[in-house]
Amino acid sequence: MNKRVSRREFVKAAAAASLIGAGPALTSRLHAAGSGAVKVGLIGCGGRGTGAATQALMGVDKSVKLWAMADMFRDKLDVSYNMLSKGAKGRYDRVDFDGLADQMDVPEERKFVGFDAFRKLLGSGVDMVILTTPPHFRAEHFEAAVKAGKHVFMEKPVAVDPVGIRKVIAAAKLAKQKGLSVVAGTQRRHQRHYLEIIKRIHNGAIGEIVAAQCYWNGGGGSLRGEKPDGMSDMEWQLRRWYYFCWICGDHIVEQHVHNIDIMNWALQAHPVQCMGMGGREVRRGGNIWDHFAIEFEYPRGVRVLSMCRQIRGCSDRVSERIVGTKGFAYIDSATGYIKGENQYEPPGSPNPYVQEHVDLIKSIREGDALNEGVQVAESTMNAIMGRMSAYTGRALKWDWAMNASKLDLTPPKYELGDLPVAPVPVPGKTPLV
Amino acid sequence: MKNKAMQTTPDLSRRDFMKASAALGAMSLGVSTNKIFAAGSGKVRIGLIGCGGRGTHDATKCLNSSENVELVAMGDTFRDRLESCRKRLKQNLGEKVKVTDDACFSGFNAYKNVLACDVDMVILTTTPHWRPMQLKAAIEAGKHVFMEKPVAVDPVGVRSVIASSELADKKGLTIVAGTQMRRISHLVEGIKSIHDGAIGELVGGQCVRLGGGMLTWGPKQRQPDWSDMEWQIRRWLFITWLSGDFIVEMHVHNLDVMNWAFNAHPVQCIGMGGRQVRTAPEYGNCYDHFAVEYEYPNGVRVEYMGSQIDGVTNRNDQRFVGTKGRAYTDFGRVVIEGPNKAEYAWDRIDPCITQHADQIAAIREGKRLNEGKRIAESTLTAIMGRMSAYTGRALKWDWAMNASKLDLSPPKYEFGDLETRPVAIPGQTKLI
Repeated sequence: MNKRVSRREFVKAAAAASLIGAGPALTSRLHAAGSGAVKVGLIGCGGRGTGAATQALMGVDKSVKLWAMADMFRDKLDVSYNMLSKGAKGRYDRVDFDGLADQMDVPEERKFVGFDAFRKLLGSGVDMVILTTPPHFRAEHFEAAVKAGKHVFMEKPVAVDPVGIRKVIAAAKLAKQKGLSVVAGTQRRHQRHYLEIIKRIHNGAIGEIVAAQCYWNGGGGSLRGEKPDGMSDMEWQLRRWYYFCWICGDHIVEQHVHNIDIMNWALQAHPVQCMGMGGREVRRGGNIWDHFAIEFEYPRGVRVLSMCRQIRGCSDRVSERIVGTKGFAYIDSATGYIKGENQYEPPGSPNPYVQEHVDLIKSIREGDALNEGVQVAESTMNAIMGRMSAYTGRALKWDWAMNASKLDLTPPKYELGDLPVAPVPVPGKTPLV
Repeated sequence: MKNKAMQTTPDLSRRDFMKASAALGAMSLGVSTNKIFAAGSGKVRIGLIGCGGRGTHDATKCLNSSENVELVAMGDTFRDRLESCRKRLKQNLGEKVKVTDDACFSGFNAYKNVLACDVDMVILTTTPHWRPMQLKAAIEAGKHVFMEKPVAVDPVGVRSVIASSELADKKGLTIVAGTQMRRISHLVEGIKSIHDGAIGELVGGQCVRLGGGMLTWGPKQRQPDWSDMEWQIRRWLFITWLSGDFIVEMHVHNLDVMNWAFNAHPVQCIGMGGRQVRTAPEYGNCYDHFAVEYEYPNGVRVEYMGSQIDGVTNRNDQRFVGTKGRAYTDFGRVVIEGPNKAEYAWDRIDPCITQHADQIAAIREGKRLNEGKRIAESTLTAIMGRMSAYTGRALKWDWAMNASKLDLSPPKYEFGDLETRPVAIPGQTKLI
């Protein structure tokens, strides 16, 4: 993960994408047909939101425009706006770029802030929205976007609790009825070497799948510093969202969902049940943990190990491995292979963070709606269920978590006021809700 | 620590016991050929080193396993533990316990005193830290050894146990390790069928043991006259230099079954863990959960998850995944799924008796029986998982076995000051 895509690969991807953009006239009724223009609204102007906006703008052609921006905080919105218009150095998800002002039309009246900024943006005349706020807000934003008839790119994870998941699944189904495109930021699903290997697995290259492993063991930090004088609890938590479970979902959900998603993809199923453990040994502040290990049981009794850790100074490993009766597959964000009876090594992949937007905009323009809503909701649920099992120490069944769990991490009200931090979970004591 | 099967099963029936002892009665009729064994009399004289719960248990099983076996000497760090054990054994076993007052020894050197007595075999059931040095002394003194698992708490100790085991072979001495699952009927049959190919080639596995916080174990209140050393030894379960942490102290049973089924030890591992519940100072410096991925030869990855936490979903099982089926095992049964479907149930014969009966018979017949290296490897499997979790670092077996310098011994063995080492922090605790 986070391996910078070479300039050459990126250019190649962009060229391929341009061809698509130059293709036949649009057929989607929902899209502003004829013009070819796609007006994008960015909801959530942090690092990933800014990155996703660059990819949406740079990946296809100049007729994709940034039309409106929304964030909880004006300062965050301004940083993002300036970066997008003036250019910035590359980072894990993008190359260096010189500014995209010619594709931006975001006057003051289409800059929205506050808890209801997303609603105002949805009424500003956009065709498509990028949902990149912290995970807690995704379910509500996605539901509102679909109801408003917008195409959606939404970052993973798409919820932090089962109540949110159910909302996302309902909205994904509504999007299907409405013919709206929905792409999720599980970019591995758009990455060539993943696609090639998973296709072969589905075609039997490693025989019947009997086991698998997935990992995101990497670094991570602590919530440092005190809440500034005069800042509300809510603002402090929102600005340091990663460390609070109700906003982030914990790192198993927020980050490791990428690898868990590959398990569901390869096995063409979600788990039946799971048993998890974990804790926090190093991390301080907030209430999320720093390590998890989960055994997921898939249909036919196939057990899958998931491990994730955010602790600096440990051995890192971010990859997936799928074991069959005739061989096994190894995949990570840069490489992969199949060993056994049907050896295979795929070519490298173009930047998947670009590709997912290329695929989305192509789908919008061709009126052939991609809809990854249920898929990413299930992968997110998978990770949430692992977290719930680890937090409580209880084995969990998917059907219960999906249908019966009442866990809803939403705070009593959305206002910049007092909000005590929930205690760090203790297995065997934290109740299963 | 009792395993689940032992906990949930009532004492052996009289009939089972007769069956077991009849089987070995036949063997014990043979003439002893072992020079080291007191030939002729057929009597085996036992010394017990480590008089806690497990020592009491093992001495009872050993004396009940075979005819003409007597307990003649006892040693423990603490006099009070020794006396309560002696009283119980006397009650349980009557005339078989022939331990006079002058054959009772306490203090750090008690094991040397026991070894100096006229004993043929010793039972080593002190806390795991002392096993390597006591095994070494016992083998050098020419004694047969029954020793409880685990047999060390660090790689330095593991290497010592392997060296002592090699010496035992040269001297014609037997060593049996308290891994009774190696003798329980359903696992013996089930794992043989795995070795015979019942589930094809092994490509995965899981080893899970969850639950049981042990919060009520041991003395909770430190007495005013107890030194740091005494407090730690009396709370040994929660002190890593003494117990090795629970992945080593208890879950070595489960990891031993994995090594057995794979006919190998792991090549490498990556682990994680911590303590979420047992965070109070009386729980020393042990963790309460571990998750380790072990990689066996041919790239086969096996998951181990272990916890000692109350109120969680309890589990205690191992599972082997092959190209032609799966085997589910626990301490009560083995179920083979796939084309070679089978089920093996426990025959209710107590493997804790069998392991002693086997050893007494081997001693009498002068047969080689040496489980030292095998249990040392299973112990290192667990130690390596702990080391990986404590440090956060992936580890290779060869490095841990040959190069690691980790030695948890305290500076000196005396009842004085001894700071409890800090709880390990992944990413910060050094890999040694």
